[in-house]
Amino acid sequence: MAIIAAPHNRSSISPGFLAWMGLIALLVVIGLVAAIQVFVHGLTLTNMYDSVPWGLWITIDLSSIALGAGAFTLSAIVYLFGLKRFQSVVRLAIFVGFIGYTCALLTLVMDIGRPDRFWHPWVYWNVHSVLWEITWCITIYLTIMIMEFLPVITEHKFFNRWPWIREVARVLHKGAPLFALLGLGISLLHQSSLGATYGIVKSRPIWFKPSMPIMFILSAVAVGPALTMTVALVIEWITARRHIAYDVLQTIARFSGFGLLIYGYIKFWDLAAVTYYGRMPNVEQALYTLNQQTPYNFAFWVGEILVGIVLPVILFLIPRFNRNPALLALGGFLAASGVVINRWNVTVSGLFVPLSYSPGTQYVLPPGTYFPNIVEWGIALGIIGYALGMLTLGVKYLPLFNKQEHG
Amino acid sequence: MSKKKTKVKVNLTRRDVLTVAGAAFGSALVGQFVTTGPLSPFSTLKQGQLEDVPETGHGAATGEYHWGMLINLDTCIGCEYCLRACSAINDVSTDKPWNIVVEEKTSTGSTFYFSRPCLHCQNAPCVEVCPVGATYHREDGLVIMNYDRCIGCRYCQVACPYDARKFNWEARSDENPYVPTFGTPEVDRRPRGVVEKCTFCVHRIDAALKSGRIPGEDPEANPACVNICPVGARTFGNLKDPNSNISRLLAANPAIRLREELGAEPSVYYIPPKEGL
Repeated sequence: MAIIAAPHNRSSISPGFLAWMGLIALLVVIGLVAAIQVFVHGLTLTNMYDSVPWGLWITIDLSSIALGAGAFTLSAIVYLFGLKRFQSVVRLAIFVGFIGYTCALLTLVMDIGRPDRFWHPWVYWNVHSVLWEITWCITIYLTIMIMEFLPVITEHKFFNRWPWIREVARVLHKGAPLFALLGLGISLLHQSSLGATYGIVKSRPIWFKPSMPIMFILSAVAVGPALTMTVALVIEWITARRHIAYDVLQTIARFSGFGLLIYGYIKFWDLAAVTYYGRMPNVEQALYTLNQQTPYNFAFWVGEILVGIVLPVILFLIPRFNRNPALLALGGFLAASGVVINRWNVTVSGLFVPLSYSPGTQYVLPPGTYFPNIVEWGIALGIIGYALGMLTLGVKYLPLFNKQEHG
Repeated sequence: MSKKKTKVKVNLTRRDVLTVAGAAFGSALVGQFVTTGPLSPFSTLKQGQLEDVPETGHGAATGEYHWGMLINLDTCIGCEYCLRACSAINDVSTDKPWNIVVEEKTSTGSTFYFSRPCLHCQNAPCVEVCPVGATYHREDGLVIMNYDRCIGCRYCQVACPYDARKFNWEARSDENPYVPTFGTPEVDRRPRGVVEKCTFCVHRIDAALKSGRIPGEDPEANPACVNICPVGARTFGNLKDPNSNISRLLAANPAIRLREELGAEPSVYYIPPKEGL
C-alpha cells in the first residue's frame, strides 16, 4: 500500500501513524485468536448458556447497525430531500455505515452455531421471520452502499489503468437518488425490524410491546448521523485539515439533538404506557425481578436517559455548547454509548427475566446471570480493531472528502 | 472544487434513468436465474429440501392426524422415568433433558409433579421466528427440527415460552448414563452448533404408520416417555380422532394447557390434580 500511496504527498507515514496501525493490528490479532478458538471449540467457550443464549455479540450487531444509520439518513437528506449542503459529508457517512454493517456481519458469523451455513437465509426462506427479513435487508443494503461508494474507490490512482471501471462507477453514480431511495426504504425496514426481533417475542414480558421497533429506528436515525459527525471531527483533528465546513457538522448535531428529543419523548411515553396501561402481572413481576437483582434501572436512567439522551441533547442544541467542536464530538460519543447501553440493556435484561410456565406455584427458572468472558471481549476488540483499521485506511487512501461531483 | 458551496446538480436524463432501471432489472433477472435456475448450485438442494417443507404459520395440523399428549398431574408420582427413557432413546445430554420433571406445589401447598416435553404448539413462536425454516410445522401437528438446515442463531430458544429448546454449545462426547438401562438410542446425536428439542419420538410415529400401526393405540408407536410411565400418567394419540384414547380422556376430564394467554396453542394437555391447582 505504501508504494501506491507514495505519490500522495499527504499520505506520508509518520511514526505516530505506525504506532496507531500497530495498535489496530494488535486488536485484530486478538480478535483473530479468539475467532479461531471459537471456530475450533465452539460457542461453549463463551459465557452464554441456554437461559441467556444472546449476549455481547448480539449487542455489537444491533449497535453497529444502528450506528451505521448515518449512511441512509444523510444520503436521503442530500439526494431525496435535496439539501445539497450536506453533500460533503455523504461519502464519509456511507463509509462509516459500510464499516458498521460489515462489523455486524462479522460478529453474526461468530455468533451463529454453524458459521458454515451462514448462507442458508438466502436459500431457505421463512418470510414470517423478522430475522430472515433483517438478513436480506442487510445484504441488500450492503450492496447498495457498495454501489454508492464505488465511485469513491475508483477515484483512487490505482484505477488509472482501467478507465472503464471508473466509467462504470460514474454511470452508477447517476443512480445516487435511486440508491438513496432504495436505501431509505430498506433501512427503515430493517432498523425497525431489529426492534421487532424483540418486540414480537410474546414469552418475554419486557420485550413484548409495539413500541420496540419505533424506539429502535428513532434512536438509529438520531444517533447514526451524530456518529458520522463525531468521526468527521476526530479525523479533522488527527489530519489537521478541515474537510467539512463546521456549520454542516453543527447542523447535523442539531438534527441529532432534535431526533434524540423525539426518541426521549417516545421513551417516556413507552415507560408511562408500560407502567399505567400495560402493567400485566407478568410485566410487573419481570420489572420487579430486574430491579431487585440487576442494575437494569441504573442502566436505564443513567446509561440510556442521562448519557444517551439528556447530555447529548444539551451539547447538541444549546448554542453555547454546540459552537465548540470538542463538545460536539463528546456529545456524539455519549449518544453512541447510550445506544450501545440501550441495546445491551434490552437484550440481556429481557433474557434475565426467568420464564414461568408451570401450572403450579413454585417452579420458575432461576433468573439469568451473564457477563461476557475473555473470548467474547476478544472478538469485540477484534471488531473494534477492524472498524478503526478500515476507517484509518479509508481516510488515508480514499478521497472521502472530495467535494467534486461527477456528472 | 473551485467555488465554495458549489450547487451540485445531478443531471439525470431519461436515458440515464432507463439505463439504471434496465441494469437493475437485468441484474435482478440474472440473479433470479442464477439462484433458482438450472445452473444454480442450490437447485438440487431446493428440489430436495425446500419443497417438502410446508408453509409455516397458523393452523398447522391440516392432515388426518394431530398428535397430542395428555399428562395426568394427579397420577404422576415424579419418578423421572419419562425423562430417563427420553434421554436414552433420543440420546439426550443429561444436563439438558428434553423432558423435564419438577416437584411443584398447588396453591394450597400440596405437592404434585410437573413434567414438560416440547408442547408442539400449533402456533409455535419458534417456527415463526426461525430465519431459515429449520423448524417447521408438519401436517400432523408436530413441530420438527431440520438439523441440517439450522444455523444456530438461537432465536427459537429465545422465543420459546416453555424453555423446551436446547442448544449444542459443544461437540458431545459424554457417556449416556441411561443407556442401556432405559433403552438404546434410536436417533443420532445432534452436531455442535444446532438447536434441539423433543420430537414426540417422530421416528417411531413415521415408522409405525408405514407398517400400519396407529400411534396411541399400539405401544411400539408411542413416544418413549409414554410407554415407560409406570402409572400411565401419559396418554398419546390423535386429537382429530374422537375415538382415540386421548380424545376420550380429554372429553371425560377437565384439562388445561400451559400459558394459554400466549395463543401458542400447545398440543399437550394436562389433567390438574384432583384438589385443584
